[in-house]
Amino acid sequence: MIKRGKGIAISYYGTGYGNGYPDVSNTKIKLNKEGKVEIFVGGTEVGQGAKTVFLQIAAETLNTSIDDIILFSEDTSIMPDAGTAAASRQTYNTGNAIKKACEELSIKLKLIAKEILNLNTTEGLIVSNSSIYLSFYEEKKVSFLDIAKYLGENLLIIESNFIAQTVEMDLETGQGAPYWPYTFSACEVEVEVNTLTGVVNILSAKFAQDTGKAVNPNMIEGQMDGGFCMGLGFSLFEDLNIINGRIKNDKLSKYLIPTSMDTVDIEKIIIEDPEFTGPYGAKGIGEPVTIPVAPAILNAIYDAINVRITDLPATPDKIVMAIKKDSKAEDKNGKID
Amino acid sequence: MINLNINVNNKDFEISIEEDKRLIDLLRDDLKLTGVKEGCSEGECGACSVILDGKLVNSCLIMAFQINNSKILTIEGLGQGDDLNYIQKAFIEVGAVQCGYCTPGMILAAKAILDANQNPSRDEIREGISGNLCRCTGYEKIVDAVELAGRYLNGSEIYR
Amino acid sequence: MDLKYIGNSINRVDAYSKVTGKALYPQDLYYENMAFGKTLRSEHPFAKIKIDTSEAELIPGVLKIFTHKDIPNNEHGVLHKDQQIFCDKIVRRIGDPIAFVVAESEKICEVAIKKIKVEYDILEPIFDPIEAMKDDSIKIHGNSNILYHYKLRRGDALKALEDSYFVANNTYRTHSVDQAFLQPEAGIGYVDDDNKVTVVVATQYPHYDREEIAYCLNIPMESVRVLNTNVGGAFGGREDITLQVHLALAAKTLNRVVKCVYSREESFLAHSKRHAIIMKYSTGVDKDGFLTAIKAEIIGDTGAYASWGDNVMRKAGVHATGPYEVKNVMIDSYAVYTNNPYAGAMRGFGATQVAVAYEQQMDIIASELKISPVEIRLKNILRVGSYTATGQLLNNSVPLEQCLKSISE
Repeated sequence: MIKRGKGIAISYYGTGYGNGYPDVSNTKIKLNKEGKVEIFVGGTEVGQGAKTVFLQIAAETLNTSIDDIILFSEDTSIMPDAGTAAASRQTYNTGNAIKKACEELSIKLKLIAKEILNLNTTEGLIVSNSSIYLSFYEEKKVSFLDIAKYLGENLLIIESNFIAQTVEMDLETGQGAPYWPYTFSACEVEVEVNTLTGVVNILSAKFAQDTGKAVNPNMIEGQMDGGFCMGLGFSLFEDLNIINGRIKNDKLSKYLIPTSMDTVDIEKIIIEDPEFTGPYGAKGIGEPVTIPVAPAILNAIYDAINVRITDLPATPDKIVMAIKKDSKAEDKNGKID
Repeated sequence: MINLNINVNNKDFEISIEEDKRLIDLLRDDLKLTGVKEGCSEGECGACSVILDGKLVNSCLIMAFQINNSKILTIEGLGQGDDLNYIQKAFIEVGAVQCGYCTPGMILAAKAILDANQNPSRDEIREGISGNLCRCTGYEKIVDAVELAGRYLNGSEIYR
Repeated sequence: MDLKYIGNSINRVDAYSKVTGKALYPQDLYYENMAFGKTLRSEHPFAKIKIDTSEAELIPGVLKIFTHKDIPNNEHGVLHKDQQIFCDKIVRRIGDPIAFVVAESEKICEVAIKKIKVEYDILEPIFDPIEAMKDDSIKIHGNSNILYHYKLRRGDALKALEDSYFVANNTYRTHSVDQAFLQPEAGIGYVDDDNKVTVVVATQYPHYDREEIAYCLNIPMESVRVLNTNVGGAFGGREDITLQVHLALAAKTLNRVVKCVYSREESFLAHSKRHAIIMKYSTGVDKDGFLTAIKAEIIGDTGAYASWGDNVMRKAGVHATGPYEVKNVMIDSYAVYTNNPYAGAMRGFGATQVAVAYEQQMDIIASELKISPVEIRLKNILRVGSYTATGQLLNNSVPLEQCLKSISE
């Protein structure tokens, strides 16, 4: 028999290494001789979109096109340490570091512009599209290239960092402020369960993700899709099958990850509620997007067949066995109708 | 050693190879077509997909000696420079790329789908790419990209 | 705030190189006169070992077989240096690295690996973390298999459970899974023109890799350079050292370009796993549906090595209540050594596993109280002004109600 069910789950996730451990992102910014801004930062692009996010944050802060900003994030001999690409921390931590550095660069650039333009003060100066001008008298304008030429060999270099706030917890009570910020998620899944074979199909899914502020909504949707898929594999079939310390499923023909046929189009809802301490309000979402998926699926399975799977993964054999066990229990209690 | 005459990305090659060489190794090690990726070596992940005489195949499962007088297309033969193929363009625009390791194979799988049918349904696309694993995207934007590429191809959306 | 670039779905800056096949991953790099490296790994989960490489070294084309004798500092690890670059006396899991063969070709490496003799003196392994926690269990490292214990205490959970209208008592188990990123580990080692030991690798944290390479080779950090290529997915699986130090050591010793590419099977052996966790929960509620207390014992199998075990199980413990206001909380979260594959970082980092427990508990309670899953959650969720179980004030950006309502309406 095919039975349908719906389940929901919500979750939260605290960003960063946590528990007082120094959580630092360093960055170095340089105005090169061609008048382009170079950003050196050790944050890794693992596919999550770090490079794009870093450039968007820099472009916003410098009010300058992404094409005029060059990012170097591959070579430890030239880039400062920006911590690991993990703990959903790159957008928040390194994003903040880049924003800070760009703000400092803007201030420095304005001071130099004041000098070149022979002004009394930097008040009223605006940074825009690789140049600086006086907002109420645009004739007073100097480009980044002019500034670079003016500086000659004395390249303008800004080094900055961002250190996330984290408070170590008490050893006996666990009280403290280990992580910041927290990011919230909610997921609803509809499944159908074949009670004979135990096979679970996902029929539809909704996912709402708190982003603080979405830096790149399309890339966030991509994270939500991927996080859902990973949560689905975790809950239904991925299994290393470790027996006596040996990974039995050590090939992709045995360790099954979701294919395009296992998942569905997901209704994705991006929630914005800017975080005071985030760069433009942004929070990390790389991990949060997978957390509520497994419990939502398990709650949906229960809704469909009235059997709770407490032992992952919820493979067909386990579901069939749980149904059989449940019906026996019900027989004894005389509850079966 | 065996002599092979093959055409790869519209270029003819005459190559001498060892008998136990796989097609993927010929393409990567000898021709340096490193857009052909190796992910599992058993035909499960599709990262090594190429189009062999018009058909999508896993180049890790084919021995090089089997392909004498064949025509092979890899990602490098699709679109380069400013002249991107409509599928590549769609993948960029839709955001169907994350870590990028499955991308070359996925794009060739998309080409195989669209070569056969310019107006595939989402289900047909999902089936068509089901031999290509992606761990990052959850596939939805890849399906979107193949749909968009189909619209470019059949003219229902203007290809800029 | 009027924003121009933030909030704008611009195309990824790395998309062009990835759709054209130009994006390079370490396995895509080829150099003239390049040597290859391959790792010999333990076949047994717990054993004393003796290694004899003499026969293998005689095979033509073998350049050197590296073992513990060749590495100045053999220990590494992201939190505790409890792993060895090359096991010297003891292996603690299947897949532990024992030797790194460097030869003129990959094929010669494979032949040579088979000729290395490893004598295993088998020890009694432990695979069950609950067994491993016992005082009289065989110890895998040091005096205790309990690597880490996080305690969370707020209010009086035991009394509050006793006074509760209903308590859901259940045990949940999540299993060990793999990041299964599509690009298997690969790397290149060489000494560059500035005499820097250079490792080209796909990593989540190049500066950490640099630090470990410098430490293990006992050279200054400035003499090491890590070049991060495109990374073919990571999800936590590229945080620990795998082939970085092997390549650096071989390149420095031989002054050759050395390449190493893991097969999918070796990739499964080499990197960390998601912690399998046993979660024993008691969740109490009053008759109006407000949570009264949560008590949980959370036991994470960290396998043979710590990796991020302390931090993963801490994150599991801190997140164990779920996003709810609970006045009485008693959590004990443990990371426990066993002879299983080592567990470390994977997307969600402990917070993924506890959600499986706390969110099923909420549904069980809702059904007992005959209220809807949405209603039970709305009664208890964190909002601006709420305190978390660790006593942290959530003073802004807590749009959980909005998240919940937008999926359920």
